[in-house]
Amino acid sequence: MQRSFLSQNPSVLWFIALLALFTIIVTLMSEVTGVGLISTSFVKTLGKTLCLCLVAIAMDVVWGYCGILSLGHFAFFGIGGYAIGMWLMYARTEGIVLESLAGQAIPPTPAEISDAIGNQIFGVVGSSEFPAIWAFADNLYLQLLMVVLVPGLLALVFGWLAFRSRVTGVYLSILTQAMTLALALYLFQNDSGLRGNNGLSGLQNIPGFEDASQASISIVFFIASAVALAAGYIFFAWCMSGKMGSVVQGIRDNEARVRFLGYHVESYKLFVFTATAVVAAIAGALYYPQAGIINPGEIAPIASIYLAVWVAIGGRGRLYGAVIGAAFVSLVSSWFTGGGAPNVNLGFYTIQWTDWWLVLLGVSFVVVTLFFPKGIGGLFDLIVRKQS
Amino acid sequence: MLRLFSIAISLWLLFPTTSSAQTVQDILQTHAEEVLKPGRRSVGVVLDDLVDSGLPQALPFLEAWRDREIVQRSPDGLFFRAVEDGDEITLFDLDTGETSVGVDDDLTESRPNGGVRRAIGDALVQFQLSDPDIEKRQAAVDAIARSMDASQLAPLMASIEGEPDAGLKEVKSRLAGMLAATFGETPEARIDAISGMAGDLSVDVRAVLNTILASEAGVAADLPSDANIAQVLEVGKDLTAEEAYAQLVAADLAPALITKTDIRTALEANIDGGFAGGVPLANLNTDAGRAQAYDGLAQLELVPPRVTDAEQAAAIEAHTFFMAYDEPDAAITDAASEALAAIQTNVAVSQAVDLGLDALSLASIYFLAAIGLAITFGVMGVINMAHGEFIMMGAYTGFVVQQFVPDYTLSIIIALPLAFAITFGAGVTMERLVIRHLYHRPLETLLATFGISIALQQLAKNIFGTQARPLTSPEWLDGALVFNDVIGISYIRIAIFVMALIFLCLILFVLKRTRLGLEVRAVTQNPGMAASMGINPDRINMLTFGLGSGIAGIAGVAIGLYAKVTSEMGADYIVQSFMTVVVGGVGNVWGTLAGASLIGFLQKGIEWLNPSNTLAAQTYMILFIILFIQFRPKGIVALKGRAAAD
Repeated sequence: MQRSFLSQNPSVLWFIALLALFTIIVTLMSEVTGVGLISTSFVKTLGKTLCLCLVAIAMDVVWGYCGILSLGHFAFFGIGGYAIGMWLMYARTEGIVLESLAGQAIPPTPAEISDAIGNQIFGVVGSSEFPAIWAFADNLYLQLLMVVLVPGLLALVFGWLAFRSRVTGVYLSILTQAMTLALALYLFQNDSGLRGNNGLSGLQNIPGFEDASQASISIVFFIASAVALAAGYIFFAWCMSGKMGSVVQGIRDNEARVRFLGYHVESYKLFVFTATAVVAAIAGALYYPQAGIINPGEIAPIASIYLAVWVAIGGRGRLYGAVIGAAFVSLVSSWFTGGGAPNVNLGFYTIQWTDWWLVLLGVSFVVVTLFFPKGIGGLFDLIVRKQS
Repeated sequence: MLRLFSIAISLWLLFPTTSSAQTVQDILQTHAEEVLKPGRRSVGVVLDDLVDSGLPQALPFLEAWRDREIVQRSPDGLFFRAVEDGDEITLFDLDTGETSVGVDDDLTESRPNGGVRRAIGDALVQFQLSDPDIEKRQAAVDAIARSMDASQLAPLMASIEGEPDAGLKEVKSRLAGMLAATFGETPEARIDAISGMAGDLSVDVRAVLNTILASEAGVAADLPSDANIAQVLEVGKDLTAEEAYAQLVAADLAPALITKTDIRTALEANIDGGFAGGVPLANLNTDAGRAQAYDGLAQLELVPPRVTDAEQAAAIEAHTFFMAYDEPDAAITDAASEALAAIQTNVAVSQAVDLGLDALSLASIYFLAAIGLAITFGVMGVINMAHGEFIMMGAYTGFVVQQFVPDYTLSIIIALPLAFAITFGAGVTMERLVIRHLYHRPLETLLATFGISIALQQLAKNIFGTQARPLTSPEWLDGALVFNDVIGISYIRIAIFVMALIFLCLILFVLKRTRLGLEVRAVTQNPGMAASMGINPDRINMLTFGLGSGIAGIAGVAIGLYAKVTSEMGADYIVQSFMTVVVGGVGNVWGTLAGASLIGFLQKGIEWLNPSNTLAAQTYMILFIILFIQFRPKGIVALKGRAAAD
């Protein structure tokens, strides 16, 4: 390699610089510093958007670079959220239970404490027993390991099965979608051990930081999300720039030829699939403490399709495209659905954007796919071409 | 002779009452004493006379008597039905129904006690069972079936003989059989009745048998010789040691266990200056510590001692646990369990058949939903995420047609071709505007059609609202085809099955026997070659896509009849439909049929294993499909040779 990684990828430096600038500005203007130009809830929205950008990057790598249109990466995102949510919920409930039991004449036994916590958490689904999957919920470090391990293993097994039998293209998409649906349906059950339909809630309260204000918690998570996004960006940019990146993109363009050249295509695909799944899970683990609640509806297959759409609108095959797509669509979407957009009065009919936003979004997918296959990111090409 | 006859006729005409010679009042006067102060025994005579008289007025009298409305007027000793309204008392003549005003002081009420009223009720049942009006007889039979009672057996048996309606007669004898099984006078009669029920699958017969076989758990030092033992329970196998001990405690054969809660309460009640039972409070945060403290209290005889595990085991060892039938006669319970076993075998077979029918109808729904996809995705290779929305469009078309055409049969007949036309048009439009440009980018077709899908879904929500709209099926599709008490299938499901069959044949015909089908197959196999043979691939693609979409529309009408019409109904079927096509094998209508059958039967089978949970069944089914595709990536019916090339 003659040139350094960064000089090969000037976009990485630009991206990191812009992200750092953005993070600093938001932090300075937040309620923590006393300026208060940006409300705590908007800081949370921005933090969540950064997490969505991170999962979009993962999606871009698996789809834009490797050509696997996975409709399951948002499920990995959700698994990450559930994994961290289990600890958050357990630790917080434990705190509450210990406090309420402290006033009693006789100190509680471990079994009594665990029963009380179980009652608190699983009372809504008519149970009080801790399912086996909560075995590590009392330990933050083990549970953080779960954030990475569970989706990683799932992706590894699923990917190994799928790539081994050479399921490709549209079939693979449908297969990943089936996996997502199965997971969502499983989580919807009350006896799944994850509170079924109710999901996990109260995740915005971080155990151990009960005294900290939501304003400062939100800024911490915002910065953490920004750091994670930067790290993820650099990691994937580095992965996709060397020889491995060439092989992966070769697989996207013509899988058979790469195989005939002697590369073990399945291993590359498996690596990309698993690594992106893990990154998606990390993004989810950062997202849901900011969102405060996670339920199976978040994992439904449609969420993964939206993820693909963000990447498509932003521009596939370039990491900053994915970031732009995710940030743009999710922010615009919350602007429209939150009632921020003014209604349009046509005289005979008033277009209320809360009702019509999805129609507009759907039509714009079609327009983007038909006329701008390179997405918003494609605009940068025009600029670069003009300069040269 | 003739003269005598004519005299008789004229006499009969002159004195119509002479033939029966009496009125209800007459009968009552004969037994005035028994009517006024009826006893359980004496009332029988009155009731017998009334029933024998066959007078129509006897029935209302009995009802009034049972309801304590009968009074005797003291001046003339006549009986009346009295209705009190405030201070006024109206008297009704028992035979003619004429009203008169009663004076409270003159009237003596007849006050039948509980036993007498039951006897009157039985007599009433007898009346109703032989009533000329079939509806009343039916109602009486239903009333007996609702609450079976020993006393009903005799009147019911008596009425079977004279029952003119064959259907009701059968119902009566079945009911009599059930009554006889439970309340028959001799064991032989009961056993006969029980064995007569062996072929009957109905729920009420099984309930009767189960009632006869009702058993209660018992415990004793030795097996009691006088009880009809159903089963001797083995601790550790039939019941757990905890259950066994709880049973002992319930029977006062062993001291109650001291639970953790008991220990806790006892300790809390005996805290003494930072100590409880001689153990410091801080040490009470484990079960062992608490046990030690409790034992300390027990030594001071402040609390009952704990039951040790050895004591528990010894107590269980010393006793026999068994299930005893409530019915003392072993011959009867044997006959009943034999009959029940025979019935249950039958029921199991019937349930399997029923499950098969259910699975078949589910498979036909999946088939209908997926058959359009089998053409657009399977034959053309276009992944159309908006396929579900075409189904929805078809269903809403049916709904709109029903708003204008109130006749349900007619509206469905109009809706089917209209739905086809509308979705055909939508499909062609979509193909021309969007899909045509994306044939070489299949993954992007997925995104574009997904965009169309959410736009259409939201559009439907904006137009029709979020609540489910009904699509009413014609009357002749209501109800179900019932084979026996277990096997039944609703006509709608049969209709959907028939429709699925018709579509299968239709599509096979179009693809295999028409010019269009030939061209479609040519274009899918090799568009370039087809074009050079003078086929216009653009036109064929357009028509094929329209055909697939149109079929989705018709499927929408069918599915709408069976499920509710909502804007999200398409999304419910889309993933399943894709899986059906992929599992079955792409590019082949037979494959779709195989896929739909596999998924339908599999889902019903899993639901049967795990009946409480449809969600779990779906989850396992999808997992199975994922695994299945690993081993047969090309589906059940895989194309071979050149046609299989991508």
